[in-house]
Amino acid sequence: MQDTAIRSDGLPRPVPAPVRRPDVVNDDAVRGALARYLARTSGGGVEIISFSRKSSGFSWITYGFIARSADRSDRKLILRVGPPNGLFAPYSVLPQVHALQSLAGSNVPVPALVSFEQDGAEIGFPFFICVHVEGDVPAPWAASQLGEDHRRVIALQFLNILGELHRIDARTTPLASLQGGGERAEVSAIAAWRASLARPTARYYPLLDWGGRWLQENCPQPPRRTIVHGDYRIGNFIEHDKNIVAILDWELTHLGDPHEDLAWALMPTFNARSKKLYGVVERAEVIELYQRASGIPVSAKSLAFYEAYALYQAAAIQMCAVRAFEVDRFNDMRMAVMASQMPSIVRAFERALEAAA
Amino acid sequence: MSASFERLIEGIIDALQTHIVPNNGDDFVRGQVFSAIYALNGLKLAADWKPGPLLDQVRLQDDAFAAVRQQANGMDHPPIPATPRIARENAEAAQIEALRDDGDRLLGQLLLWASGEGARTADPDAANEIERLLRRAICDQLKIELATTPKSMLQQIAGGDGDAARG
Repeated sequence: MQDTAIRSDGLPRPVPAPVRRPDVVNDDAVRGALARYLARTSGGGVEIISFSRKSSGFSWITYGFIARSADRSDRKLILRVGPPNGLFAPYSVLPQVHALQSLAGSNVPVPALVSFEQDGAEIGFPFFICVHVEGDVPAPWAASQLGEDHRRVIALQFLNILGELHRIDARTTPLASLQGGGERAEVSAIAAWRASLARPTARYYPLLDWGGRWLQENCPQPPRRTIVHGDYRIGNFIEHDKNIVAILDWELTHLGDPHEDLAWALMPTFNARSKKLYGVVERAEVIELYQRASGIPVSAKSLAFYEAYALYQAAAIQMCAVRAFEVDRFNDMRMAVMASQMPSIVRAFERALEAAA
Repeated sequence: MSASFERLIEGIIDALQTHIVPNNGDDFVRGQVFSAIYALNGLKLAADWKPGPLLDQVRLQDDAFAAVRQQANGMDHPPIPATPRIARENAEAAQIEALRDDGDRLLGQLLLWASGEGARTADPDAANEIERLLRRAICDQLKIELATTPKSMLQQIAGGDGDAARG
C-alpha cells in the first residue's frame, strides 16, 4: 500500500465544493466491457454468465463470473477492479499481479492469474482476472461458528504459509520491482502514513501526531527484508475441507520487515477481539510456530513495534475514510461510521507504544 | 466523533435517498424511509452534539494546560492558552467543539515539544513529567468519547449481516 495507495504529497489541499462523487463503477457496464475484452483477447466469442459482485468493500471491487467459450466449455473466474473512487485510489494492479505471478507453484497458495490490464483496457479501470477458488472465507470480526479443533488446524496452516512466504527470496521474483524507498523502505512507509494523517480532516489526534514521529524515529532494522503480504489476517484466505487453498488480497504487498505481517495477524480486531490467533493459538505458541516455519527469529522489540504500527496504520486508514466522507463528501455511511472507532484505536495505539518504547 | 453533526445527518439522508429508496418498491417501506428523512431534516435544523461531553473534554484540556504551565515554568515552550477558555455554561456545541479541536492541536504541539530534543536537554525531568501528564490527559479525553460511542457493529457493517444486527 505504501507505494501505491497513499498519495504521498502530504500537502494541504483546498476543501472541494460539496459535491458527491459519481458512482463510476456501474456493474452492468463492467459486465459489457468484460465481455468485449474477453472476446478480443481470446480471439473468439465468449459469453459471460452468472456475473455478480462478490463484495462491497472499501477498496477493490470483486466480481465472480463464468466465461463460456464458443465450444461451450465454462471457466469460473474472478474479476477484481480498482475503482477510481476507492478509498486509496488511484490504484495500481501491479502488486497483486506480481504477487500472483511470483507465488504460482510455491508453497504459498494463490489463485492462478489469467490476465491483467493496468491501463484498464475496455473496462477503463485497472483490473485483473484470476481463477475462482472453491471454498469459504472466514469472517474475522465475530466469533466463528467453527469448532476449536477446526480453527486450530487452520491457524497452524496460516502460520506455516506465512513462514513459507517469508522464506522466499523476493529478489528473484517480479515482486523485487516493488522495492521502494531504498534501504529503509519501512521508514518511508511510516512517513507516507504521517503525510496522509497530516492532510486536513475534521479531527486532529495529538497522540497520532506524536506517535507517528516516534515510529519514524524508532523503526527497527528488519532481520531480513522479505515479501510482506500487508494484510495477512483471518478473513483473507479461502479454506476448503480444513485446508487453506488460497491466500487473497495482495493489494498491499511490499518488501519489508516480516514482523509487520505477524503483528497484523495478531491484532485482536481480526481475531474476534481475542488475543489468541483465530481465538485458539496463544501468542507464545504463534511465535514459536512462526519461527520454525520461517527460520526467522522473532524479536520481541520488533514485534511490539509493529503491533503499535499496525494500530497506527489502522487509525490512518480510518481517517482516510473519515476524510473521504467529511472533506471529499463521498456518500458512503460506512465511512462515516468508521469515525466512531477512532477513540478506541488511538487509546490502544498509545498503550501499544508504551509497550514498544 | 470525527464527523461533524451536520455532515453526518446529510450523509444518512443521502444514503437513504440514494441506496434505499430506489431499491425498494414497497410503498409502506418507502413511506417509512421518507418519514425518517423528514425527521432527519428536522434534526439537522434543530439539533447538535450534546454539549456536556464536549465541555468535559475542554475542561480536561484546560487542566492539562494549567499543569503544563506549572511544570514548564522557565522553559521555552509552545503557546499555552489562558484558562479557563470557556466562561459560559450555555455555549453552543459547535463553539465548544471548535475549542476542543483547537485544544487538541495545542496539546499536540506541547506533546511533540516535551518529547523532543530541546525540552529534554533543557530539563529532562520536567520534560518527562509533562509528556506523562499530557498523554494521561489525552487518554482521559478519549475515555469521554468512548462513553458516547455505541457498541461496534463492524461485522454487520462489513458484511451486511442483518441477522447479526438483530441478534
